[in-house]
Formats: sequence, structure tokens, C-alpha cells
Amino acid sequence: MRVNPNLVPDILAAIQQSQATLNTALQQVSTGKSVSVPSDNPAASADMVQNTIESGDVDQYTQNVSGVLTMVQTADSALGSVVSALTQAISLGTEGASGTNSAANQQALAQQVQGILSSVVSQANLSYEGAYLFGGTASSTVPYTASAASPSGYTYNGNDGVNSVAVGDQLSVQVNLPGSQIFSNSSNSVLGSLSTLVSALQSGNAASIESATTGVNTALSYVSQQRVFYGNAESQLNSQETYLQQETVSLSTQQTNLVGVNMATAATTLSQAETANSAALAAAAKVLPTTLLNYLSTPN
Amino acid sequence: MSVNGLQDRNGKVEEYLQLLRLLASELECAMRAIARNSLPEFEESVRRQETLSTRVTDLAGELKVTSQRGTSNLLPHTNDALTQQIRVASATLQALNRQYGSLLQHSSRSVALMVSLFESFKGNLQEGTGSRSKYQTWSCQV
Amino acid sequence: MAGLNTSLTIGIQALEASQAALNATSNNIANANTPGYTREVPQFSENAETLSGGEVVGGGVSLGGLQSVRDELLNLQIQQQTSQQSSADTQSASLQQIQTNFASTGADIASTLTAFSTSLAQLSASPSNTAVQQGVLESGQNLAESFNSTANGLTAAQSDADSQVTQTVAQVNTLTQQIAQLNGQLSQLPQSGQNGGTIQDQRDELVQQLSTLTGISVSQSSDGETITTANGSPLVMGSQSFTLQTTTGSDGMQHVLDSAGNDITSSIQGGQLGGAIQMRDQVIPGFLNQLNTLASQFATAFNAAQAKGFDSNGNVGGNFFSVSSGTAGAAASLSVAITDPSQIAISSDGSAGSNGNVANLSAALTGSLPSGQSVSNGYANMVFQVGSDASNASSESTAIGQNLLQLTNQQSSISGVSIDEETTNLIRFQTAYEAAARIVSTIQQLSTVTLDMGSSQSY
Repeated sequence: MRVNPNLVPDILAAIQQSQATLNTALQQVSTGKSVSVPSDNPAASADMVQNTIESGDVDQYTQNVSGVLTMVQTADSALGSVVSALTQAISLGTEGASGTNSAANQQALAQQVQGILSSVVSQANLSYEGAYLFGGTASSTVPYTASAASPSGYTYNGNDGVNSVAVGDQLSVQVNLPGSQIFSNSSNSVLGSLSTLVSALQSGNAASIESATTGVNTALSYVSQQRVFYGNAESQLNSQETYLQQETVSLSTQQTNLVGVNMATAATTLSQAETANSAALAAAAKVLPTTLLNYLSTPN
Repeated sequence: MSVNGLQDRNGKVEEYLQLLRLLASELECAMRAIARNSLPEFEESVRRQETLSTRVTDLAGELKVTSQRGTSNLLPHTNDALTQQIRVASATLQALNRQYGSLLQHSSRSVALMVSLFESFKGNLQEGTGSRSKYQTWSCQV
Repeated sequence: MAGLNTSLTIGIQALEASQAALNATSNNIANANTPGYTREVPQFSENAETLSGGEVVGGGVSLGGLQSVRDELLNLQIQQQTSQQSSADTQSASLQQIQTNFASTGADIASTLTAFSTSLAQLSASPSNTAVQQGVLESGQNLAESFNSTANGLTAAQSDADSQVTQTVAQVNTLTQQIAQLNGQLSQLPQSGQNGGTIQDQRDELVQQLSTLTGISVSQSSDGETITTANGSPLVMGSQSFTLQTTTGSDGMQHVLDSAGNDITSSIQGGQLGGAIQMRDQVIPGFLNQLNTLASQFATAFNAAQAKGFDSNGNVGGNFFSVSSGTAGAAASLSVAITDPSQIAISSDGSAGSNGNVANLSAALTGSLPSGQSVSNGYANMVFQVGSDASNASSESTAIGQNLLQLTNQQSSISGVSIDEETTNLIRFQTAYEAAARIVSTIQQLSTVTLDMGSSQSY
């Protein structure tokens, strides 16, 4: 005849259950996480894989935006200097074409414009964090070097490549224009126009000086037009920065929703679990031998 | 949506959360009743479950946005403590439901076996031996 | 009525009632064909003995007679459920171990994949920066290592299951020998012998233990007790025991042979043995295959992206990853093939400062692999499956535990009511179960609904 104290299995089961619940509640309060292993919440764990990757990417994109923005602003500022320099060259040319200068003054004007040409070349040869801004993608080669063979006196050593930098999952922004496009474009050469003005001033011929000055004016308009690219890039980057800030918040919120714990709720849950556990042990005490109960209530 | 509409929705959302929790608690109650082999308690719990699940399904219909797991589109980003509580309550309920479903399967098989046994003992045993000896038979040797 | 000795021949399969069988007023406990029969219920042998004489008792069967049949039936079900729970526990323990490889620890694939993706995004902005290039190389190495360790975690769990097969078979053999010996003793005692009860209890206890090791089928006949595995291989027949053996198969795993030398490995169900074999031969290989496919396809795609560009030495990009040609072992052997950051194919046109190929490298992480999913989605699905399997095994074990409690409670309750009343109660249970099953289904459907709560939302 099988003796079956049929209360014992029930009580054991109830105590095991309440202890398991208690352990879970304790862990959540102490870690702030409701999910430690995938079985805690398989769907949330799977979604977290994507969240983790996206969060990492968004952080990096934010840094990319910041770095690229500085680079673009540097390039834009360089072009701004070029515009100022060209403006100055125009006024020098205008003066030179006025016919009121002595030969010595004429030469002095030519030299000043030569100086402006040099300064424009140094702007064209500007580098940012070790890479030349206007050499295309040949970023470790000096874009412009002096060359007697070249009409403008300078030869372009770079290429016409452009780089685009990833600043979002679906967004990359072109970050450079090659020097060959801005400064030594065959139909609109900034360097060429300055060099022509130098020659004209040296010659003293008013008509050619005037014509060369007009050429520099055209080049100035052209450079201003090229600058728009950098202005647009800046706008795009600023918008993206705002978007990334929002994404950061969203992803962080989602992470909490998936695996985090609302601390107020967790504290309440813990308190309830402790009560339930005590109750289960108390109920057991009424029906079980003391030694068995001591065994059961010893924490694992 | 008007302010009143928003308030109605909030009220329904809170009711939804309550229902999820009540259902979970009811499933636990039913499982205990089955383990104790306590029929009246179980039947009572199932009746309550029916009421709760009808209401929660209606509410879900009124409030829902359907989403599929596994698409690259992530869960809606809302910073609401209520939303998080619902997610937790829902996950808990689904886990309990799987366990409950499994218990029902195991236990119904057992009950079905007992029903067969009892029905065969209701005294309608008419088959003979011989051609039907392929089937299992009962025998008592007194 | 003292000494009523109920001899039973019950195949549980015979009693397993399909819905149709339930409705039929079957006259005896017929051998239903059980179309809905699920894998985890042991397949009981069909040729359990019919009793010689085949006496059928009519309506005059005493309640006491029904009681002992009922008890025996409950016993058998408890055995069967015990086997199933033991199998679920074995699988649950293995899955708990396995899933630690998929948890977010910093060294898991999700974490290393994140770092690799981030390093490429950084490379996009600073393509000529050697420190950044080195970062890509190192995070690639970490990614490969996390594939290695995840695969190793799986094979370790498989190896553990393999050891468990050997140990459990040894335990089975010990028990069957003991049981056979007790059967021998029992058969020599007069039927009303005083010692019979103790020995019988001892034997029943051992049979119960045996059922935790593997699913069994127990039948009684006038020749004694017969125990077979769930699919019919003999373990004990009366006072004779039959030894199981293990032998190394061509797959390097321990195969289980019955006493006649037949390989019964794939037909063993239930108990620790069934659970271990299920994990070792089905579940873990499934995960390994998924992981290997993921590793192989991803590495191949990334290498293809390398080949689209040029490295800093001006050469066409070579393989970034070194991966086995087939799928087998791809995850465990995955490594980084390049040794110098200058071998990363950053440039699209061969010029030193171009970052044009970085977009292709990043695209290998976000684009669809031949499997149809990106590497991150493929991995996320694995995490989901491992987590689900672990969770299900655990709740299955709990559910069976609750069913066992119910069976134990049924066993100890004294049913003083009439057969009719008990039948009515059982049918009430069934009706309640049907209603409950509909609710389970309703609740399941709720899981696909995400409620966009946003009480702070404006409309």
C-alpha cells in the first residue's frame, strides 16, 4: 500500500515557485535589467541585437558628423580667404588699368598680385588632420607645385576623386571638391586668371590689364559658386546631427523598453515576492516536520 | 483626437494592462487547480478566463497597431512607463500561456485515457474473444 | 475478495483516445490508431500479450477491481510523464548552458559585430588614419573569435550530451539487472507471501528510477513483468535482463545498441537518455548548422566586398577573412586572413586617400546574404530560437511537473463515488479543457499585437 502524503508535492512546488519568483525579482532590482539571458525574453533579446548595432553606429555617425563638419568648415573658410584675395586682386588690377601709375608702381602691383597668387595656392594646398583638402582623393600628395611648364606657373598633382562619408545608415555626404575643379578648371582657372593678371601688369598694357582683371572677376564668381557645395554640405550635416540626437534618445528608450526595468515596479514586485515566499514557508511550517522545513528554507 | 478622446484612450490602456495581469494570475490559479485535481476551482477559473479574454481581445482591437517581429522596423519608441509595463505584462502572460497550454495537452491525454477506462467499465463489454483477440482485453482472475 | 489479483495487459497506446474514439461508445479499451500521437509520448509495443483465455468481465465488476486498474493506469502514466519530464529537464539544462553563449557579455557575436560595424563607419570618415585602420583589423579579429567561441560552446554542450549517453546507458543496465533479479525473487514467492509487498515496492521504485533514464513500456503477464524501451527493444523479461551497449558511430558519437546489436539510437525517447540524444543529434546540430552557414556566408560576402576595392599598397583587395570552403566547421575555424591594416581594401580607385570601397565593406554587414537575411538579422534569429527553446523546455518541464502532481493527487484520492459519477467528473474536466484550449489560442493571438500606447502622443 503506497503511503502518499499528498500535501508534500504541492508544498514543495509552491515553495520552489515562490523562491524562483523571488530570485528573479532580486536580480532585476540589483541589475536594473529584466533580461539577462535570451530565455528571459526571446523576442526582446533578438530585437536587442539590432538595437545594439544601431546604437553603436549612431554614436559613430555622430562623431563622423562632427569631424566632417569641421573639415568642411575649414575648406569653406579657405575658399572664403580665396574670395577675399581675389577681391583684392581685382582692385589692384583696376588700379593698374587706370593708366595713372608709374612703371615702378606697375611692377609693384604685379608683385602684389603674384603674392596673392602664392597665397591662393597655399590655401589650395591646405591640409586638415594630415590630409590635403583639395587634392581629390590623392590626399597625401601636395595638390599644387610650381612648374615652369604650366601657363599658370603651377601644376596640379592630385586627382578628381571625391569621398563620401557615412553619417547615417542610409546617408553619406560628399565632403570634398577636387582642386582641379575649383582652382585650375580648364574653362575657369582661378590660378590661371591671376597669373594672366600678373603678366598683364608687368606688360603695362592697359587693355590687357583690364581684360585680365575681368578674368579674375569671372574667377571670383566661379569660386563663390563652388563654395555653395560646402555650404550645402554643412547644412546637410547640421540636419543629420539633429536627427542623430533624436535617434540616440529613441534607441536608448527602446533599450529600456526591451530589457530594462522600471525601478518602481521592480521594487514593488520584489516586496510582493518576499511576502509570497514567507507565506509559502509559513504554510509549510504547519504541516511539515521541522527538520524538513529547515532544509527547505535554507537559501540555495 | 480631442482631449476627451485622449483621456478615453488612456483609460482603456490602463484597463488593458490590468486585464493582462488578471489573466496571468488566472492562468496560475487554473494550473494550481489542475495540479490539485480540483475540478470546481478549475471550472470557475476557466469561466473567469473566458470573461477576461473576451474583454482583452475587444480592447486590443480598439487600441492596436499590428507589428511583426523580425522586420527591420523597430518597436515604437515611446517613453511611457505604462507602455513598458504592458510589454512586461504581455511577455509574462505569453510565457504562462505556453506552460498552461502544455499542461492542458498533457492532462487532457490523461483524462481521455481515464474516460476510456471508465466507459469500458460501465458494463457494456460485449465483445468476445477469437476474431477480436487482437484487441487488448481486461481480465480479472479471482 | 481478498487476494484479488488483477492481471493487466495495457498498452497505453491502446488507451490513447483520439477525439473520434472518445465519442464512440467503445466497448473495451480498444487499440485506437491514435493519429494525433506526438513524438514525446513513448511508442508502446503493439504485441503486448493478450491473456490466455481472454476472459471478459461483464457489468458485475466490483469497484475495487476498477480501482486497482485505475491505480495501475495512473502508475503507468506517472512513469510516462516522469520520463518526459526527465527528458525536458535534460534538454533544459543543456539549453541553459548553450544560451550563455548568446547572452550579451561583450564577447558575444552581437557585441563584436557592433564594434566591427562601428569601426567601419569610423574608417569612412578617416580612411587614411592608420590607428583607425588598425581598429578595423582588431575588431574583425574579435568578431572571428566570438564566432569561434560560440561554436565551441555548442560543441562542448554536444560533447557533454554524448558523455551523458554513455553514463545513462550504464545506469540503465545497472537498474535492469537489479529489476530482473527482484522479478526472479518475486516469481518464487507464493502469491500471498508477506515479503512480496516489500520486494514489489522495491522493484516499482527501481522501475520508476528507470523511467527517469529512458522512456519505457511496462507490461504484466502471467510470466512476469516485461519492460521494453518505448519503441520495443527488450530491457527486462521476467528474471532476465537485456544489456544495452554503446559504440562509437561514424559520426564520432556514442550510439546505443540493443542486446541484439541493433542500433536503436534514433528511436530512443524520453528520460535523460532521450533528452541527451535529442540535444546531441537534433537540436545542437541544428544550431551549429545555422551558425556555420552564417559565418560562411558573411565571410564570403565580406571578402567579395574587399575584392571590389584596392588596399593602401595599391593592390586589389584580398580576402579579409579566412573561412573553410564548406559550411561544416566554418564558425569554429573563422579567422582574419590579413595581417596588416594596409591590406584593408579602402580605396575604390587605387588612390591613397579614397574611401570609396568602405561603403562596400559596410554593405556586407547590412546587405542580404544568400540566406535572405543580413548577418545581424540572421544572428538575431538564432538568439530568438535559442532563447525560445530554452524557455519552452523549462516551461514544458514545469507543466509536466504540474501534471505529475495531478496524477499523484488522483492516485491518493479515494474515489468512493460511483463509476457514473466519476465518469461525469472526467467529462466535465474534458469540457473545461476544451474551453481552456480556446482561451490559450486567443491569448496566443494577442502576442502579435503591439499596442502603440503613447499617452503623450498628440493626434
